[in-house]
Amino acid sequence: MTEEKIFTAEEIVNSFKDEFKIKIIDIKIKKRSAGVKKNETSYIWMKIDKGAFKDIIKHLCALQFPHLAIISGNDLGNSIELIYHFTLNFGHPRSETILNISVDLPKSNPEIESICDLIPGALITEREKQEFLGVKIIGIPDDRRLFLPEDFPEGIYPWRRDETGPDKLYRNLHEVKK
Amino acid sequence: MKFSMLPKAFAQMFKKPWTNKFPAKYAPSNTTKFLENVQAGKAKIIPPVETPPGFRGKIQYDKEKCIGCQLCLKVCPSEAIEFKPEDKKIKIYLARCTFCSQCNDICPTNCLSMSNEFLLADSDLYSKDLIVE
Amino acid sequence: MNKTSVTKSTYQIPIGPIHPALKEPVFFEFELDGEKIVDVDVKLGHVHRAIEWASRKRNPVQILYLAERICGICSYCHPIAFSLAVESAADIQVPERAEYLRVIHGELERICSHILWAGVAAHEIGFDTVLYLTWQIREKALDLTEYLTGNRVTKGITMIGGVRRDITQDMIPKIQESLKYFKDNFEKLRGIFLDDKTFKMRSQNCGILTKENALKLCAVGPTTRASGVKKDVRVDTSYFAYGDLDINYITPDILTGKVNGDVYDRIIVRLLEVKQSIDLIEQCLDKMPAGPIVAEPKIAKLLAQLKKTNGEGVGRHEAPRGEVIHYVKLDGVNEAPYTWKVRAPTYNNILPWIPMLKGNQIADIPIVAASTDPCMSCTNRIAIIKDGNRFELNKEELHRLSVEKTRRLML
Repeated sequence: MTEEKIFTAEEIVNSFKDEFKIKIIDIKIKKRSAGVKKNETSYIWMKIDKGAFKDIIKHLCALQFPHLAIISGNDLGNSIELIYHFTLNFGHPRSETILNISVDLPKSNPEIESICDLIPGALITEREKQEFLGVKIIGIPDDRRLFLPEDFPEGIYPWRRDETGPDKLYRNLHEVKK
Repeated sequence: MKFSMLPKAFAQMFKKPWTNKFPAKYAPSNTTKFLENVQAGKAKIIPPVETPPGFRGKIQYDKEKCIGCQLCLKVCPSEAIEFKPEDKKIKIYLARCTFCSQCNDICPTNCLSMSNEFLLADSDLYSKDLIVE
Repeated sequence: MNKTSVTKSTYQIPIGPIHPALKEPVFFEFELDGEKIVDVDVKLGHVHRAIEWASRKRNPVQILYLAERICGICSYCHPIAFSLAVESAADIQVPERAEYLRVIHGELERICSHILWAGVAAHEIGFDTVLYLTWQIREKALDLTEYLTGNRVTKGITMIGGVRRDITQDMIPKIQESLKYFKDNFEKLRGIFLDDKTFKMRSQNCGILTKENALKLCAVGPTTRASGVKKDVRVDTSYFAYGDLDINYITPDILTGKVNGDVYDRIIVRLLEVKQSIDLIEQCLDKMPAGPIVAEPKIAKLLAQLKKTNGEGVGRHEAPRGEVIHYVKLDGVNEAPYTWKVRAPTYNNILPWIPMLKGNQIADIPIVAASTDPCMSCTNRIAIIKDGNRFELNKEELHRLSVEKTRRLML
């Protein structure tokens, strides 16, 4: 087993910046400390351009195979923001870095490439984003519904805050007879 | 063949069972009749295991201390507390209460506390026993 | 039946949505060739309760109790991960004593959960006596939880910025008495699970997950540690007081010297983790500093501060089943968070079921599914469609098949 190199947060940030320059819109490191000894954990928040998304993920996998925790999504009015939460350097005590890559997709064309060919474990979380936010993931091996029932109407996306949200579907069980 | 569980299973035959037989040793075939017998003194209910101090049971409300600030309504996760505007006091519906005691923590006058009563089952959600005011 | 080509002689069994060997509804569709499983398909969504949507009209303190009810066994992990995410977003510094207290409660929950799992795994093999023994030990752990927090399951001990109840000096003798009880009984459990021939027969070389698959499919928790991947949020990152304590990854080669990735290895990892938890609680009781237990004791002030915060945060915790991650975005205008994303550990452990179950027999389904300890709820019927006739097998039948296999192996 070859010894894996432990990348510090600054090295990771510099590696991305050198390779992708203007495609990275914003990148910042945040550190949190805990316990009596105040050991620090680094969180990298990176905002990238949609066009370079697949190349950036390829660069990340080449650097060190990451652990994909989850993809979370935000409905920001005119665009949908997807945030990919990766972690690196697991296996070495107290050196893990959490890398959050966020991509903005315009609502007129919410499409993004799948990363299942690079990281097969992303299948379930990509299917979830397809049905909850209405994002179209190109190249996904399996695009069936995951959590919503079969008879849930098409075109209604539960996490959205606009007219395609589920407002017509819920009953206010709140009002009980008093 | 080594079966390490065998001696322990054998030893259990001679030990007292761990279960506390609440309310009676065997389940009564007719529950209402059993309860009538208890009232009349002919049968006894074996008490449940003692609750520790700090147990979160039925909520107790000290009406005089309440100032009507409505902070407890703000933190109740299930909206089980109702404000009565005419006399500025609250009414708690135990049918919705989750027994989290968050209202106890936020109350500025400490008028709410949790007792150790937990036998609260009832068939009517809004009966007298399940409303605290 | 001639088994010349797979397509001619396989049939498909749908299992679920209410299904064998554990706690929540999941729908499997197995393609079988005789008794061997050729392919597996998983469908989810039967207990989808729209919890993340329900958080849109609740403030962060109310969401703590909503998060607690996501799962009964991991009822401490979800509020604590949410709390970590909010503290990261709002930059709240937690006092040191609270961090040690959080470790104690987390490890106590881990003990309860792993002992419950040990009993269920024994039950799936057919060894009911062990189920009763382990759950008796678990009663002591639940009594201790009730003493420390007020309730056995929904603990309600987390608050944003700390914990709600302190452990005072007069509580410590009871904790130490319980820990002594666990240590004495741990040796009993270890003897039964790891030395007994029945367990070894049924679980070795069954449900193997290779290290490469565990890495590629992003598995988490004891499932992946049993395959040799060193992934544990408590050791990797320094949160709560884990950075101060003596803790290391638990992989099967600590005990046996080699890593197989089968069900037996998962049993080893979980039992060793119980021992590690007992040890961690003792370290915490020794090293706990004095001080406040919550960063902001006045909750109304805390809520006002969170209402003005604008930021996003990620909170991760090592639940008994793996890594829990919560993402919270606060927008600075409403009291309710703008977005709350929950990811329970079992969702990452579902894809590994596919390589684990291929090549095994039907009677192995309960023990392999149970060995990943899915936090999913329990069972009922499966329908077998064979040559156009429908047979219905319920949980008792599947369980009976599993127990019969144990008897066959014994003779």
